Amino acid sequence: MSSPKTLRIGIVCPYGWDAPGGVQAHIRDLAEYLITQGHSVSVLTPAADEDSLPSYVVSAGKPIAIPYNGAVARVLFGPIAFARVRQWIFQGNFDLLHLHEPAIPSLSLLACWAAEGPMVGTFHAASKKQRATFAIGPILEPVIEKLSARIAVSEEARLTLTAHLDTDAIVIPNGIYGKRFTAGTAQDKWSGKTLGFIGRFEEPRKGLSILLEALPLVTGFIPDIRVLVAGPGDGEEFIEKVDPQLRNRVTFLGRLSEEEKIDFLSSVSLYVAPNTGGESFGIILAEAMASGACVVASDIPAFTAMLGEGKFGSIFPSGDSAALARMIINLLRDDERRAFLAAAGQNNAKRFDWDTVAKEIFSVYEMAMVGRDGVHLASETRSWSRLLNREGETG
Amino acid sequence: MKSALLVVLFVFLFLWYLNFSATRLDRLHHRVETSWANLDGLLQRRAAIALELARSELADPASSLLLTDAAYQAREAPIAMRSQAESGLSSALRHLRVDMEAVAKPAERSLLTELSELTGKIQVAIALHVDSVNSTRVVRQKLIFKIFRLAGRAPLPVTYEFEDDVL
Repeated sequence: MSSPKTLRIGIVCPYGWDAPGGVQAHIRDLAEYLITQGHSVSVLTPAADEDSLPSYVVSAGKPIAIPYNGAVARVLFGPIAFARVRQWIFQGNFDLLHLHEPAIPSLSLLACWAAEGPMVGTFHAASKKQRATFAIGPILEPVIEKLSARIAVSEEARLTLTAHLDTDAIVIPNGIYGKRFTAGTAQDKWSGKTLGFIGRFEEPRKGLSILLEALPLVTGFIPDIRVLVAGPGDGEEFIEKVDPQLRNRVTFLGRLSEEEKIDFLSSVSLYVAPNTGGESFGIILAEAMASGACVVASDIPAFTAMLGEGKFGSIFPSGDSAALARMIINLLRDDERRAFLAAAGQNNAKRFDWDTVAKEIFSVYEMAMVGRDGVHLASETRSWSRLLNREGETG
Repeated sequence: MKSALLVVLFVFLFLWYLNFSATRLDRLHHRVETSWANLDGLLQRRAAIALELARSELADPASSLLLTDAAYQAREAPIAMRSQAESGLSSALRHLRVDMEAVAKPAERSLLTELSELTGKIQVAIALHVDSVNSTRVVRQKLIFKIFRLAGRAPLPVTYEFEDDVL
């Protein structure tokens, strides 16, 4: 980055640090990237296990599991958490705060309420209109408008934000460490006529059942096809839905480590993402493209945007297993087309490299900081005397 | 006695709300000022680069004249006319850039790279400014802000027209 000045940056993570999730991974990568650039970074987050945190992470307490937006969210709020947030802001002496998901009832919202100064907010979630957010919109609005700049991780997330809170955002995608993914080595056990799938396959929206429904048709044309499913979950239960004769075609690998995942993506013939919805960004597609896998994905908005309407991977109508089967057969028979899509995808994935993404984020930081002198506690949370003084001037 | 207490409480809450709203509006005005200062700075830098390009060997007399004129108009325009003038400069630069890139020498090439980096930043800055102006205008429409004249004598922020000005 061009600016020689190093900054003190405070990042707030709304979800439990130990729980796996896209937001946490994004914050971890961003924080580590900024640290390698010479900035000093502190991440405030809920954490269940406070002993095994990286040195740049500060725990605000144990997360509370609450049902939110159709899933269980591990968040943190309440008077004690609020006091910790204020203390962290006061002691951190930050030049800038970067708040993730400030519209969710967790630490980021508290930090946005408590602080004043240059603040950047990143919105990750994409969802349909929610009545709850509408109801608290008027309360949220004055808080959210304190942000000097808003970032959305995808067009989907931006539209969600515009619909709920009547404000706009700049789209900057999530980042991946592209070099790590291009460095993957193909493993024999995963190569050949293989279809790869990564994700928590027990969730219906990940769409594994659609891929398995397509399997009988595919085996008719390509007998030596294999489906490799990676991700946490109970495979035994899932396999019972599959035709007994085809069960040996499906292998459940369990959860893969980061290195295994990279090798896995470099090995498979096709990476299949049959998700039926609920994806805001689809970082896994960026990772698959970066490792040089040819991608087949459903036509949900996040994926079509990611694959450039089909320029960087094949797209089938979401939920249509027959169309998926046809597409798999055609691609497995056409080596040239597959290699072409894989190369186009790998080239496209450079857009998501941290070198590019962090530069864009940093330029937003710079703009948010113009003419401001750092983050301090907001006046509302400071004292009553100030309130009475101001009344005289304005009322 | 009880009702008197309630009235006091209500008045107190109302005063708190007024103070809260005034702070909120003050903060929004501040945001508009900073986002404008940021955008203005970037646009000034762009005009300076345009002038430098106009004086370089790259530009033929006609494009040099066009650029110089557009850059000066952009610099001297009053705030309400600013977005129009800047659009003029954008389109002048857009016309010349492709040709210039084909014949640029290293020194001039760095100027062109700086220009294209600046263009990306300007787009972000415009988005930020438009957003802050819009939220301020929306808030100032609200009844409580009008009745109690919480905006004081601060002028209503001017919208910047070319949201989709692409180079």
